[in-house]
Amino acid sequence: MPQSMLSNPGSDVKYSWFVGVPLVSGFSASMGSSGFSAFDLFANNGVDFNTKVRNLVLSTSRNDKVAINQQLEIFSGGFKLGDWQKASYFSFGMYQELDVLAYVPKDPLILALDGNQTYLNKVFDLGDLNAKGELLSVFHIGYHKNVSEKLILGVRGKLYSSIFNITSTKNSGYFYTTQGTNAIYDQVISSNILVHTSGFLNYLYNYSGNINSDISKKAFLGGNLGVGVDVGLTYYPQKNIQFTASLVDIGSIKHSKEVESYSYKGVYKFVGLTPNLTPGIPTGSLTNFSDAVPLDTLNVNYTSRRSLKFNSSIQYSFGNESNSDCNCSSDEENRYKNAIGAQLFVMSAPRLPLTALTAYYRRQIFEALEVKATYTIDSFSSKNIGFGLSTNLGKVNFYILADNLLEYKDIAKANSLSFQLGLNIIFPEKITPD
Amino acid sequence: MKKILAVIILVALFFSCSSDLDFNQVNDLKREPILVTNLGSFDAPAQLFTTGITESAVTTNFPIIKIFEDLYFKESLVKAEFFFEFNNTINSAFEIKLIFLDASGTKIDSILFDVPAYSGLPNVVRKTETFDGPHFELLKTATKITFVVKMLGSPLAIGSPGSLKLRSSATIY
Repeated sequence: MPQSMLSNPGSDVKYSWFVGVPLVSGFSASMGSSGFSAFDLFANNGVDFNTKVRNLVLSTSRNDKVAINQQLEIFSGGFKLGDWQKASYFSFGMYQELDVLAYVPKDPLILALDGNQTYLNKVFDLGDLNAKGELLSVFHIGYHKNVSEKLILGVRGKLYSSIFNITSTKNSGYFYTTQGTNAIYDQVISSNILVHTSGFLNYLYNYSGNINSDISKKAFLGGNLGVGVDVGLTYYPQKNIQFTASLVDIGSIKHSKEVESYSYKGVYKFVGLTPNLTPGIPTGSLTNFSDAVPLDTLNVNYTSRRSLKFNSSIQYSFGNESNSDCNCSSDEENRYKNAIGAQLFVMSAPRLPLTALTAYYRRQIFEALEVKATYTIDSFSSKNIGFGLSTNLGKVNFYILADNLLEYKDIAKANSLSFQLGLNIIFPEKITPD
Repeated sequence: MKKILAVIILVALFFSCSSDLDFNQVNDLKREPILVTNLGSFDAPAQLFTTGITESAVTTNFPIIKIFEDLYFKESLVKAEFFFEFNNTINSAFEIKLIFLDASGTKIDSILFDVPAYSGLPNVVRKTETFDGPHFELLKTATKITFVVKMLGSPLAIGSPGSLKLRSSATIY
């Protein structure tokens, strides 16, 4: 389907032209949480919520995280240039995307819930605070071409328009309390926390506008802008063996509108009062904590990088060619009834990359129906079974894919869920001369 | 037939179940952290009391509660425990008074300690004062604290050994 070009601009997708049905050509959503599920916190089971929160904090680590991604394709289309032997393919479109990635702030949570009385000698790591989120729209235009009989190369240029952004991923610092000598405790806080935001400022102070209108304007290049590029390839070492690789979202966004950042930086040693009883010698003032570790509000520009994604796959196709009465498909991979393969996905993240390794089997069941079964091991689950189908009813293409099917028996306990679906109108290209 | 089968497969994908969840439980969250920190300390050598001076009084700012309010406990400070430890190695008894004052210098509260003279054996006096309810609300209005250290008994000879040490901590609920 044409949407595969968004994960690999060098996909072997051919068409005379296509158009995605506006707002329904591509909708995808995925959620992953490692270490806990919605059921662990919000189950209506009579267990006290505070007990559930404490159990969650104790059972998770600072590397556990919640990741949410949602994409809605607003419009898309594409067309072919050139004849059937030397064709180039253009594609373009716009989509809205929501990304959230938040790590469990374990040590600050323990401090906020329990304090430090029972944690003497523990060094609380303030760098556990690590989260980012963004709502943006993306305008893109792509190009791919068979540069040889075996190799297809593609590239996609992107223009990002950020609607809302919050980024706090480079925090550090510590807080500890140990038994002291001259004082009861040795206690120090060193804080280096910075939270960048953009797009929220107008709504914080006496806002009287129309938020829907504001968001629409920001979505259509009125927000904070950035540029990016995707590159990819498909290579056939043999006719029935396919290798693909791509890098997606090599780009960044410069935030200069409606920016407000909050910094909490400084060092403070809690020595308490130290009166000097020597007559005539003044006692020094106790430094105010808020002077030593001030909470500052800044209005400075900042740059956020898009999460870089790497996709790669290898596929072996076999079986009789799909339908001897109709050589309907111009895509090499769809000439065979069966295919098995493996896919690797890696996405950059503030700490360890998010990864997914998938094994799949694809089968052309009818002339117009193709199904795919997958098994994936990823950062959130080791029992991710997925299923997808793509069907062409005349010129109308409908596709749906869903992962983590085993979790659907109780989605409240799911550690990850994802699905995507869409509707396109595709005019296949002519693969023979007139 | 093929198209009907395709539709059946599609419909089958839309069935799922979920355990009963209640997100309103968030309102039940109770944060009751207990924070410990230093309240104050001093180390007064015996020489301070060999020049005929028998009493020393020092007033200093007392922003201890404000420090915790600055952090994040603003609305939830309900109780404080102050722990005091005096270690006296001077051959004289002392009476120490801590006086809490508000912004206008008016006394809000005071704590009295009697520390015996050093006689060669470990001489540590410990005391915990608890402030809760209205007593704690009153303490929150304190902005200064006066340390009054009064030596009981005869003035010390020059060169007298020892010191009077205070270590103290606060436990805030």
